[in-house]
Amino acid sequence: MNLERFHLPGGCPVWVQRRSGPDLISAKLLIPGGSAADPPGSRGVTQLLAGVLTRGCGPLSGDQLAELVEGRGAGLRCETSEDALIVSLKCASSDSEALLPLLLTLVQTPWLQPDQVTLERDLNLQALQRQREDPFQLAHDQLRHQLYGQGPYGHDPLGVEGELGRLGPGDLAARLPDLGLQGAVLVICGQPPGALKEWLTPLGQPQGPWKTFAPHQNPGPGGEGGERLALVPDETEQLVLMLGASTVPLGAPDALALRLLHCHLGIGMSSRLFVALREEHGLAYDVGVHAPARRGAAPFVFHLSSSADRAGEATTRLLDEWQRLLEEPLTAAELSLAVAKFRGQEALGRQTCSQIADRHALLLSHGLDWDYADGALAKSRQLVPADLLAAARRWLARPALSLCGPATALAAAERSWHRHHLSDPPALATR
Amino acid sequence: MAVATEPSRSRLANGVEVVHLEMAEAPVVCLDFWCKAGSRLEEPEESGLAHFLEHMVFKGSRSLAPGEFDHRVESLGGSSNAATGFDDVHFHVLIPPEGASEALELLLELVLEPRLGDEDFQMERQVVLEELNQSEDQPEEVAFQTLLALACPNHSYGRAILGERSQLEGHQPAAMASFHSRTYQPGNISVALAGPLGQLDLVERIEAGPLAGLATTAATPPPAALALVAGRQQLELPRLEAARILMAWQLPCAHDIDGVMGGDLITTLLAEGRRSRLVTRLREELRLVESIDLDLTVLEAGSLALLEAVCAPAHVAAVEAEIGAIWRQLCDELPGVAELQRAQRLVANGHRFSLESAASVAGLMGSNCLWGRPLPLDAPLLAIEQWTVDRLQEEIVPLLDPERAFTLVALPA
Repeated sequence: MNLERFHLPGGCPVWVQRRSGPDLISAKLLIPGGSAADPPGSRGVTQLLAGVLTRGCGPLSGDQLAELVEGRGAGLRCETSEDALIVSLKCASSDSEALLPLLLTLVQTPWLQPDQVTLERDLNLQALQRQREDPFQLAHDQLRHQLYGQGPYGHDPLGVEGELGRLGPGDLAARLPDLGLQGAVLVICGQPPGALKEWLTPLGQPQGPWKTFAPHQNPGPGGEGGERLALVPDETEQLVLMLGASTVPLGAPDALALRLLHCHLGIGMSSRLFVALREEHGLAYDVGVHAPARRGAAPFVFHLSSSADRAGEATTRLLDEWQRLLEEPLTAAELSLAVAKFRGQEALGRQTCSQIADRHALLLSHGLDWDYADGALAKSRQLVPADLLAAARRWLARPALSLCGPATALAAAERSWHRHHLSDPPALATR
Repeated sequence: MAVATEPSRSRLANGVEVVHLEMAEAPVVCLDFWCKAGSRLEEPEESGLAHFLEHMVFKGSRSLAPGEFDHRVESLGGSSNAATGFDDVHFHVLIPPEGASEALELLLELVLEPRLGDEDFQMERQVVLEELNQSEDQPEEVAFQTLLALACPNHSYGRAILGERSQLEGHQPAAMASFHSRTYQPGNISVALAGPLGQLDLVERIEAGPLAGLATTAATPPPAALALVAGRQQLELPRLEAARILMAWQLPCAHDIDGVMGGDLITTLLAEGRRSRLVTRLREELRLVESIDLDLTVLEAGSLALLEAVCAPAHVAAVEAEIGAIWRQLCDELPGVAELQRAQRLVANGHRFSLESAASVAGLMGSNCLWGRPLPLDAPLLAIEQWTVDRLQEEIVPLLDPERAFTLVALPA
């Protein structure tokens, strides 16, 4: 491994992984403080800021910036996740000199021009509206509300319509100085040219270097227990079911056990949910687990969509699978399959420069080590089924169920829920 | 450093094509089995069978129990998937090199001798119907399917790959077995391997395995040429939140590499990136659309350029008029040289970037090999450079005349 590390003048750590292959680079600048850090009343401001960063900065207007990037056939994106604002650049190695200076220019001296803010805001509002066409999105939005309420993880990074609609350049200007206050990290993977450091300087004349530091392992946002069952009526063929709980940050002690449960339940066609619901009962085409890494209480979610006329059966079986997690330890064979999948996923996630830069930037932004994933791989072989069961009981004991579909299906699913152990109030759950 | 771009090729005595490329740094090997058994090969009473068969393949073979393939491949840290298209189907496994030999044997066994058990067949039919339900719950997919049906009424590209529900409900294993034996023939098959192949001897294993044992037969005839029908229709769709303007044009078929690259360049010039003509005009200046995309779908019988504009219902007429105006401007004035260069760099980098992963390299090699295009991987890069603004205006721009398109306007019901 050819790994290099240095700091920019203002303190931003830079990691460079050189790798043979096509002559290209992928750079990720990850700045902790994503949509979860949207101030109250301004939900959507961080994503809006990210979108406007590429609409003019330093000496370049938005058009000039786009011309420069697209003229080199490169890709430059700014987006917001729950936990971070992310600037991504992918280009031919020979264009590094022209394009790398943009990274710091974007975050230090964006124009935030009113007309461009209005355009970007209106596009985000339309995107939010269009998301309602997708029943999975509707069920997902509702589950997020059940798990996180009005908390930092309680809204889509795009924002909340009523609040986003009122945002303007002043709100972005107020949010801008926050960038870097929780740290930042830049990871570059591929074949960058030798004189890399020189090109990681901003264009124009910003007032001093961008002050930041390597992110620490701070606790992220938590969950808020909301409604256990919630329904969205929609005139669809299928009922969409999402069953989930809020759990732990990526770096927490139980995260590895939950990751192995995720592999066991949801990775590949031999996974437990795929076999139990699709192969054995033909209940779904799409069934799986959604368990993204987070700095805070990460969601752990089963998802399934099944035709409306089988809603009751699908609900019961999905709840049974969750219950099973809390009652039965994995067999030794199931655990070793889960570990093999975990290893396989790690290999699959290292295929391209962008994947490599993404993964390491994510770990570093959580305050974890560059090679944290290798350590987790080694540790995964030491876990025993009882460890996984204990983690499941700690974090998955009281899941919430979100449903989206036609009224008859909702009613059938609701009956299944109320008949099931998992919906019992805590006092009765121990019988 | 330079990346090897010339794949190694060989052909078994019965006509199966094998192509491979060493990618020493890749963490996984990709094994990709391609067969000319897409939905186009279905007879009228076989609607959806190609795709249903792709599902059934994973339900076991003569010597592999249902689920055994997945379990064994995934125990080796691998993962597998498959995709059915109009023209072809492919099955691929991504796996760390230690498991690649075993996975290759399993994959070939699986695709060549599917079990098609009756009980599994009935169960998997439910899964396919759920897949259909799921797609029908996405109004955008419904709109695209309607567009293809209207634009390609007399061609298999107008029929849904997932199939007609009424026919899916009636299919039986025997009919599927007959589709399989008719299409999974040596002359219709290629296998592509990419990744850290090193000393794995995978090609030798293919030469000594069941693929080599398949009897030689006549290859599938080439596809009937596409003749897209122009027209315009409007419909209302429930659950749609914004209007869609969808347009389909016919562009040169996959075999015409030069023409395909011309199509790639014009769609990029028109709709990729903030500086592309349609995005600049419709989203940035006039602010009439939330998004506008124009993608090239490369197909053997004739490629399709598919446009999608998302806008408020009240803006539909203005957006359509502007699309026409932008096209006329391209006819009247030569595009700028810098504008072409921008498109050339975007297309070329897109191609270069796609050569990073074993899966996309194997996919590219496998499909080219299957369709008789033994090209080096950098062939598209050379073809891109051949295009000038004059040729683009003369040869490709006329194909995108809105009068030659089928236009479907979908409005929220």
